[in-house]
Amino acid sequence: MDYPSTEMTEDTEEQSGGDGLAKAIDPTRLGPAAPSSAPASAPTVFKIDALTAYYGKSAAVRDVSFDVPGNQVTAIIGPSGCGKSTFIRCLNRMNDVVPNFHTDGAIYFHGIDIQGKDVDPVNVRRQIGMVFQRPNPFPKSIHDNITYGLKMLGMKDDLEGRVERALKRAALWEEVKDRLKDSALALSGGQQQRLCIARAIAIEPEVILLDEPASALDPISTASIEDLMHELKSDYTIVIVTHNMQQAARVADMTAFFSLSEVVDGSRSGVLVEYDRTDKIFTTPGDKRTEDYVTGRFG
Amino acid sequence: MSPTRISLQEDLDTLQATLLEEGELCARAIRGAIQAVRERDPELADDVIAFDDEVDARYLSIENGIESLLARQTPVATDLRLVLAILHINLSLERMADLCVNIAKLTKLVYMVPPDTKLIEAFDEMGARGEEMLRLALDAFVRRDVEAAEQLTELDELIDRANRRAVHHLLALGSNRELREWGLRMIVVSRCLERVGDNAVDIGEQVAYLVTGEFREFTDASTELRDD
Amino acid sequence: MSVQADPGYSLSSERLRRRKVVNRIMEALATLAALLAVAVLVIVVASVLKKGIGAINVDFFTKTTSTFSFGPSQSGIANAIVGSLVIVFFAILMALPVGVLAAIYLNEFASPRMRAPLQLALDVLNGIPAIVVGIFVYVLLVLGSGQSALKASFALAILMLPLFARSTQEVLALVPNALREGSLALGAPRWRTTLSIVLPQAVGGIITGATLATARVAGETAPLLFTSSLVGNEVNWNPSHPLMSMPYFIFAASEQADPGLQEQAWATALVLIAFVLVASTIARYFGLRSRRRRGGKR
Repeated sequence: MDYPSTEMTEDTEEQSGGDGLAKAIDPTRLGPAAPSSAPASAPTVFKIDALTAYYGKSAAVRDVSFDVPGNQVTAIIGPSGCGKSTFIRCLNRMNDVVPNFHTDGAIYFHGIDIQGKDVDPVNVRRQIGMVFQRPNPFPKSIHDNITYGLKMLGMKDDLEGRVERALKRAALWEEVKDRLKDSALALSGGQQQRLCIARAIAIEPEVILLDEPASALDPISTASIEDLMHELKSDYTIVIVTHNMQQAARVADMTAFFSLSEVVDGSRSGVLVEYDRTDKIFTTPGDKRTEDYVTGRFG
Repeated sequence: MSPTRISLQEDLDTLQATLLEEGELCARAIRGAIQAVRERDPELADDVIAFDDEVDARYLSIENGIESLLARQTPVATDLRLVLAILHINLSLERMADLCVNIAKLTKLVYMVPPDTKLIEAFDEMGARGEEMLRLALDAFVRRDVEAAEQLTELDELIDRANRRAVHHLLALGSNRELREWGLRMIVVSRCLERVGDNAVDIGEQVAYLVTGEFREFTDASTELRDD
Repeated sequence: MSVQADPGYSLSSERLRRRKVVNRIMEALATLAALLAVAVLVIVVASVLKKGIGAINVDFFTKTTSTFSFGPSQSGIANAIVGSLVIVFFAILMALPVGVLAAIYLNEFASPRMRAPLQLALDVLNGIPAIVVGIFVYVLLVLGSGQSALKASFALAILMLPLFARSTQEVLALVPNALREGSLALGAPRWRTTLSIVLPQAVGGIITGATLATARVAGETAPLLFTSSLVGNEVNWNPSHPLMSMPYFIFAASEQADPGLQEQAWATALVLIAFVLVASTIARYFGLRSRRRRGGKR
């Protein structure tokens, strides 16, 4: 489009009053002012297909299906008891240690069902890391916490460099670089949690799962963890369970809302109610149950 | 302690940048509209009308962005006032652009009539003043400068006086029917230019709200209509 | 500015006084009970001390036993001390690895179905009387092939095993599950998690438990009667021979009419008590040290 013509542009610059106006213009930007939306071509990292998870006879979650896109933050929200933690622990086979746990359905990670018979859960967990609700650093030094996984996996080349990079990536390096030999247990809660994140990313997984990572932390630490996720998603795929839906709103690109089903055989299980872009879930949710939950009118 | 809430800050910066872009486009629209009146150029007027799409696109983008930001980030305090100020300024800018469209449409209706040079001079001045006010208002917004914003009322007074002079002048035109129709249209054009100034003052009021947390009108709306 | 009590509003109660009295009575009773327990210990130690202190001298620890005493300077319990050391040493060698590994299996790897019967087996083993173990080992190993310190160690090991397993289990259970999860989540197999994360946390407690169990079992006499009682009076370090031991010496010497020997029996009892005291102190030290190491900000 030619108009306004170039002579106008020159006039603009002459007449522009005040520095603020002149330097703020980027003519190429249409300025979306919308959240980083899932580009149509984001690759799918997880494809969850009709997953039902049982403890013994009762189903904790029932018939869950959705896709998790790569290099995005996907949040799972919902009231307590709707199987969010059970679900996320399926993604890295952590539920294997629970007796009487079994599943129906499939979880495809790069097209491979991670619950398949010939899939080694140890390998799964090396690609899909997890950070827990309460920080759980090993009772070793800060340095050794990080090298534990590295040494185990034979990633011993440039060990110190890897430790430094992991701690920098987790925004902890500056605070601990002079005391790497100190016990990890001497750190504050927020620092411990960042250490756990550094420990997880040191072994270079593809995915990081976070199960209510900030619920045991104070607001300042929570904010720094949230900012961290914003930074990390450029290199990792992040899935986070949170009971704090404001946190999901702030942090996530995609949000999955779980809730409790109707009573079936005397019990209720968690079901996926709605899965969509976060700004849609929080501005115009499609399902009334979602609306009730995010507006806080959930009974 | 390093700053946090990177996401929120990024979103606020994007909104503000888009708003300033929209403001720049409005300024060009004002200039284009006056030029179309001065040169009686219907094609230029069409361009001005089409150009409004650019402003509308940014207006919509900011509206959606604000909705999303409020839902997702729950801003409070200064952040909240900034979002609300952007919301209102966005509206003022969109109105300004629509006024330019009106001016262009009116030009297209009566472009074949030879213009009155004194009137065109007056319009030139009003347009320039309006554009100046817009830039000053947005600049005050960027610098969060309440005093600069308050000075807009003086400039608005000048536009108001030019408007009243134009009306007087138009009323004194001859009784030629064609000329009278032209005169009617031009009164509306003058009114549009005057309202551009009012919208700029509104932007200034939002700047004061953003900084002080209080909303107040800069001038008392019940000032008597003057007739000098 | 003085604060006025709001009239008509009361926080006192009539029951308060009665509660205070009851509290004080209960406190007194509890203190009395604790003092009673300590008193029993004091009485036992005091009588052993009184009856045996006369025989304690350097010779007591350097000379060997004899069936009748020539006076305090002629005999001692050097060979009994050596024998006890050898027997207990080999008993620990046999029982500790098995006990600790059994506990690790039970706590870390066993499925719930396996766990219950195994736990029961250990508990029953724990309750088998020492003399029954002695007879069992006698019939199994001694009949036909003779006594030896090693067979005595074997018998003591059977007694130690459930104690080692139980204390190791308790300490493993104290390791927070969150640590295991953290290791598993990094892709560590179970054995490595146990080895690198769980065991280092539990080591202090294992040592404590082992020390206490040893102190308990080292004083068992019944198994020794069947497996290491045909002993001589020389100092002998060879475990394939039956060796004199302190509990057996107490048993044998106290049956003798010779008051000198009886006094030596009391003295040996004193040595055993001293050993228990030292072992308990060591155990407490290790326990505290490992708790401090595991500490930091909790």
